[in-house]
Amino acid sequence: MNKIATIVGLTWKAAFRYRLFWVLCAMLAAAVVGLPLLIKDDGTAQGMVQILLTYTLSTTAALLGFATLWLSCGTLARDVEECQMQMVAVKPIARWQIWLGKWLGLLSLNVVLLALAGSAIFVLLQWRAGRLSPDQQKILREDIFVSRASARERTQDLNPAVDQIMKRVVKDPSTMNGFDRAEMRRQITERLKAQYTDLAPFKSRLIGIDLHTLQDRLRNQKLQLRIKFQTASPNPDAQFTTFWRIGPTNSSNPVELSETFPADSFQEFTVPPNLVDDQGHLWIEVGNPNDVNLTFPLEEGIELLYPESTFGVNFIRGLMVIFCWLALLASIGLAAASFLSFPVAAFVSLAVLFIGLSSGTVATVVEQGTIVGYDASKGAYGHTVVDIVVLPFFQGALKIINLVESFSPIDSLSSGRSIRWGQLGLAVAQIVLLLGGFFCVVGIFLFTRRELATAQGNN
Amino acid sequence: MSAVAESPSVAAAPKAGQVIVSVRGLTKIFKDFWGRPKAKAVDNVDFEVRRGEVFGLLGPNGSGKSTTVKLLLGLLYPTRGHIEVFGHSPRHVASKAHIGYLPEESYLYRFLDSHETLDFFGNLFDLPAAERDKRNEQLLEMVGLSKVRTRVVGEFSKGMQRRIGLAQALINDPDLVILDEPTAGLDPIGCREVKDLILALARRGKTVILSSHLLADVEDVCDRVVIYYGGRIHAQGPLRELLAKPDAVRITMPALGRESMKKVLDLIRQDVAADKVQIDNPTQNLESYFLEVVRKAKEAMSETSGATSGSNVAAYLRGDAEAAPAGDKLLERLTVAAPPKTVEPAAVAAPEQKIDQTKLASLARPTEKPDTTPTPAPAPAPADLSQANEKLSSLLGKPDGK
Repeated sequence: MNKIATIVGLTWKAAFRYRLFWVLCAMLAAAVVGLPLLIKDDGTAQGMVQILLTYTLSTTAALLGFATLWLSCGTLARDVEECQMQMVAVKPIARWQIWLGKWLGLLSLNVVLLALAGSAIFVLLQWRAGRLSPDQQKILREDIFVSRASARERTQDLNPAVDQIMKRVVKDPSTMNGFDRAEMRRQITERLKAQYTDLAPFKSRLIGIDLHTLQDRLRNQKLQLRIKFQTASPNPDAQFTTFWRIGPTNSSNPVELSETFPADSFQEFTVPPNLVDDQGHLWIEVGNPNDVNLTFPLEEGIELLYPESTFGVNFIRGLMVIFCWLALLASIGLAAASFLSFPVAAFVSLAVLFIGLSSGTVATVVEQGTIVGYDASKGAYGHTVVDIVVLPFFQGALKIINLVESFSPIDSLSSGRSIRWGQLGLAVAQIVLLLGGFFCVVGIFLFTRRELATAQGNN
Repeated sequence: MSAVAESPSVAAAPKAGQVIVSVRGLTKIFKDFWGRPKAKAVDNVDFEVRRGEVFGLLGPNGSGKSTTVKLLLGLLYPTRGHIEVFGHSPRHVASKAHIGYLPEESYLYRFLDSHETLDFFGNLFDLPAAERDKRNEQLLEMVGLSKVRTRVVGEFSKGMQRRIGLAQALINDPDLVILDEPTAGLDPIGCREVKDLILALARRGKTVILSSHLLADVEDVCDRVVIYYGGRIHAQGPLRELLAKPDAVRITMPALGRESMKKVLDLIRQDVAADKVQIDNPTQNLESYFLEVVRKAKEAMSETSGATSGSNVAAYLRGDAEAAPAGDKLLERLTVAAPPKTVEPAAVAAPEQKIDQTKLASLARPTEKPDTTPTPAPAPAPADLSQANEKLSSLLGKPDGK
């Protein structure tokens, strides 16, 4: 352990020798201190917190991510290129200890930098909150500086139903209507999904949210409904009225609300306490009095938010998820540097990061089943032979990216959503242990087998 | 040493004559990106190095010496052949606790200062903090860098970098010291100190592998050598055997009067043709002359911003921190050796003597060592040391010799 700690210390000292490190530190300081002081908000508590947290935490994560990749490539690849690694490798320390020491050095450096940046953001957020009007401060305390978990309607797995319909369609080729199987499957899935998401004009739908495990905890607690819907209306400024009846289905006196909202934005309104029925279900009936369809997306259409923890604890958990990302980047950078020269390793690592950030494009390609996109002249998606190679690669990449991107601490923090301990544990397991561990094993294997004296010193 | 205690599988106290390094059929072919052979750096090399030997790898640039060294250290992997160091593969981690390595160039971290550098490498040997600090002090003093311990290595001159490199190679009191061009970049004083140190280590039973193309270095310190050319060994054996001219004798003595000289020559010419007899006045070598000039200069000037002359060999390297420093004695004898003493008459007269005694005198060995299993030389007679002490003191600028 002493040897690993020695390499950790060396990694710290090596990081400080990079000018880029100090430049990034200066940028980080400017981001976490300067942005909260300079950014203007809309005067609302929610707007202030969303803008401040989104900008500062995103900038912090981006800067630390870039610094981590750069340092992880540099600390190993340059040591090999400049031959210092020869001096270390001839001492009684195993190669895996050297690699692990470097990795832990980068992680500990990130812990310190992230803690400093997080503390500064938190303090300055409180300072900015003190400058809000009293009514906005009340909203801040009750709705935003909280940690709220969410519950939503349990939806069925659509795949069995899709499979069943697909079998019928394939048996009768005339029903394929010129589509290939992937496109047909996609359309069937969307049609089935619409049963849960679409609310036709002048219709209503009953939604049941299971809260039986939380029944005692939520007694006498005000809850929030967070909704988002889409419409086919061409007017972006249009407002849409919605009717809400909340309470047990057999209640003679349910809560009835009429709320008017714009489309394509998250909206929240308060649900009075103690409306859960004896079986622990909260029943919500939503009505659409408009002359257009309202589509509530499955994942984020209608959610019930309830208090779970404090903002401070949630903030720390959010930082820990960001730390998991940084740990993964460190292992990617070190793995690349284990067998590549510094510039090549940096290029490869940044390419991996770029692919990760392009998850939207990758997801679209996978969803459409082609990289060509929609061909308006044919009214269908085009297909090329390149898809045969690219699609499996993109599908694999998307699965890996989703392991990382399924956690969005910045969104959660800025909207007062709880990042639960379970989610944090999952983030550690998926991002650090599974993906990071994979890159660690690959990196250590390659580094252990590498001939370290083939590089010519360029001191 | 804790590192030794942690690795019982490695012989903590190798016996005299024990094979420390064994190389059989060693071949190293460098390949290009596509795996095609690019250069055969080492070609079917065999040798063994035994405990207590100073073993020289001699050859011109690019002959395969450094590649061999890196193969011995596990920094390169052989294409063919077999290497054992302390009975294990060069990649055996525990064995490395017994090895000290000085590479051909300074491969140290440029952002660490001298003290941090030694502390870092000491930590890799699991040396306790107190022991580390003690050795750091002694080594910095020994290599003459104690006054610049807070300067980062990147600011050092090449010679100073060699000195700190040498110090890190000795931080673990190694049983096997591998030195690749150890005197490259050093001034003559530094070269002398390094050679003294090598001999001091050998006296303690340490094994030294010295790779160099500087013939004088090898000649001064090595017991056995291999001579490389084009990746292959072209000659190997004890140095004195390789250098001996058994069919010639050199006699050195105080100048004789004209009559006496004529008598001696007449006597010799009875058996040897006149054109085979060579008479000249011995000269001291340039190294001795240079050291004398520096000594005088140091008496007149005391301050320097660079490295100072190295001090005594570190106490822990001498093996006895309290007793009279064996390393000093060795340094002293070397100093004495520069103007050769008179050769023992018996050695000159003996016709079966195959060794060039004058050359041996210039090598300044206190005692002879067996060819294959060298043993530490016995301590010199006390009578010789008083004079030697004075010379050493003047060389190192410490009048009391401490």
